[in-house]
Amino acid sequence: MSAIAPPSFIRQFQIIPLVSVAAVGIAWQLLALSGYFGMALPSPVDVIRQFLQMIQEPISGVSLLGHIWASMFRVLSAFFIAVIIGIPLGLFMGWNKKVEAIVKPIFEIFRPIPPIAWIPLAILWFGIDEAPKIYICFIGAFVPVVMNAYTGIRFTDPLLLDAARMLGASKKQQFLEVAVPAALPAVFAGLQNGISLSWMCVLAAEMVGATKGVGYLILAGMNMDNPSMIICGMLIIGAVGAAIAAGLRLAERKILPWKREIAQ
Amino acid sequence: MAKEERINTCPETPSGRGAATAGSMLWLSVLSLIAFFLFWYVIVQFGFISRTLLASPEDVIRTFWFKLSHRAPDGATLGQNFKASLLLALTGYISAVVIGVPLGLLMGWYKKLDEMVRPLFELIRPIPPIAWIPLAILWFGIGLAAKAYIIWLSAFVPSVINSYFGIKLTDPVLINCVRTFGAGKWESFLKVGVPAALPMVFTGLRLSLSSAWMTLVAAELLASTEGLGYMIQMGRTLARPDIIIVGMLTIGFTGAAMAFGLEKLESKITPWRKQ
Repeated sequence: MSAIAPPSFIRQFQIIPLVSVAAVGIAWQLLALSGYFGMALPSPVDVIRQFLQMIQEPISGVSLLGHIWASMFRVLSAFFIAVIIGIPLGLFMGWNKKVEAIVKPIFEIFRPIPPIAWIPLAILWFGIDEAPKIYICFIGAFVPVVMNAYTGIRFTDPLLLDAARMLGASKKQQFLEVAVPAALPAVFAGLQNGISLSWMCVLAAEMVGATKGVGYLILAGMNMDNPSMIICGMLIIGAVGAAIAAGLRLAERKILPWKREIAQ
Repeated sequence: MAKEERINTCPETPSGRGAATAGSMLWLSVLSLIAFFLFWYVIVQFGFISRTLLASPEDVIRTFWFKLSHRAPDGATLGQNFKASLLLALTGYISAVVIGVPLGLLMGWYKKLDEMVRPLFELIRPIPPIAWIPLAILWFGIGLAAKAYIIWLSAFVPSVINSYFGIKLTDPVLINCVRTFGAGKWESFLKVGVPAALPMVFTGLRLSLSSAWMTLVAAELLASTEGLGYMIQMGRTLARPDIIIVGMLTIGFTGAAMAFGLEKLESKITPWRKQ
């Protein structure tokens, strides 16, 4: 069951990884300097210069941190709503056959539709304000959160439930004290998937129509024909996404000390 | 008897009472679906929600039939849009898998390659494929190449990661065993490492497929003149929710059908794996 370890090539200092990153960096710089690709390929130095400039000067009236926060705010509020609704729904669906019979068929209609395919309808419904973006991110996070809570409960070891029942646990106790803790690792895997999907959805939603946010940032880079701005934006998006995932892993380790890794 | 039955159904739900209630559960599901569609029909039909915001199920079905043979209003029939999207998605997906799976397997098996490629991979991995769209458009224009590149990237990352971990998790006892019997490094890779990794490889293929399909929609929303993503985008521009919903359902159904096909393929190729 030892599963995907946290991405950490920093864990031990090795020479080969360093050499390979440096080699690619130098090759990139030389390729850009050769001018073969012209404007389309900025050099790493250009990207760093662009980054320093973006820190100092606001882009479209919003500072870099403002853009990052705008996206983060959308993702986090959507994620919060998805967790509040999704986890109980998934848990009850996995626990109670009636709830499952009622909710599952409807859920199964919506599940295969990628959250991004909701964008046109969301814009039609909510305009191009904050609401459609939060809605898209919500859909992105909701499906994995519900699915994982659901399967987590269903795969509770029946032995544990039988043991609890034998010791006189009520239905409620079996659910709250046995099934839910047993499902928590799966629930956390769902949160992890949900937030990274949500982070992806916010980009798509912002690229379709927004005036701030990291998705807007890279699209603005495209419209200004400024590839170093796009690359900066992409690196920031990657870094923030990785930071969110790391934060959630940390929270998991705090809340589930008995489970050191996410199984899945 | 009762005991046995309970053991069988227990993992599903502890409150189940076995087969006696299965029929009533089915009824409950059917009722719930009927209620859902009725609710949808009523809120649109009786004007609780404007028709410019939501189409009734009836309209959706009518539009579906209409789109099968008519090009209006987005310039292509549903079939043409479907074909364009599917072709693009499969091109990107298959080329990603063909490169990604062997790369992941070799990375997991050969330590030197792992150390060289892994750090680069870890730098690129956290960037969602959708974030590549502007750069891809800048590089390749809004033609086929840009979309194919983004879809390729979106499918490439999960296929590499899962193949990598799949082969890394090969039971060392198995490897030592074939080594003892005199297998070379290459032979033990092909005959033990790869088969042991297959279930994880298939997980990767599944994730890649759903990722590719989702990225396709994003790419078509942003830069396209045909395809299902373009169709729903046009539906929005024209304020035609029926077209959007037909497109969404087609997208969802196609994604589910492809995932199902892959599952069937998996049970064919790895029959020793239960479930």
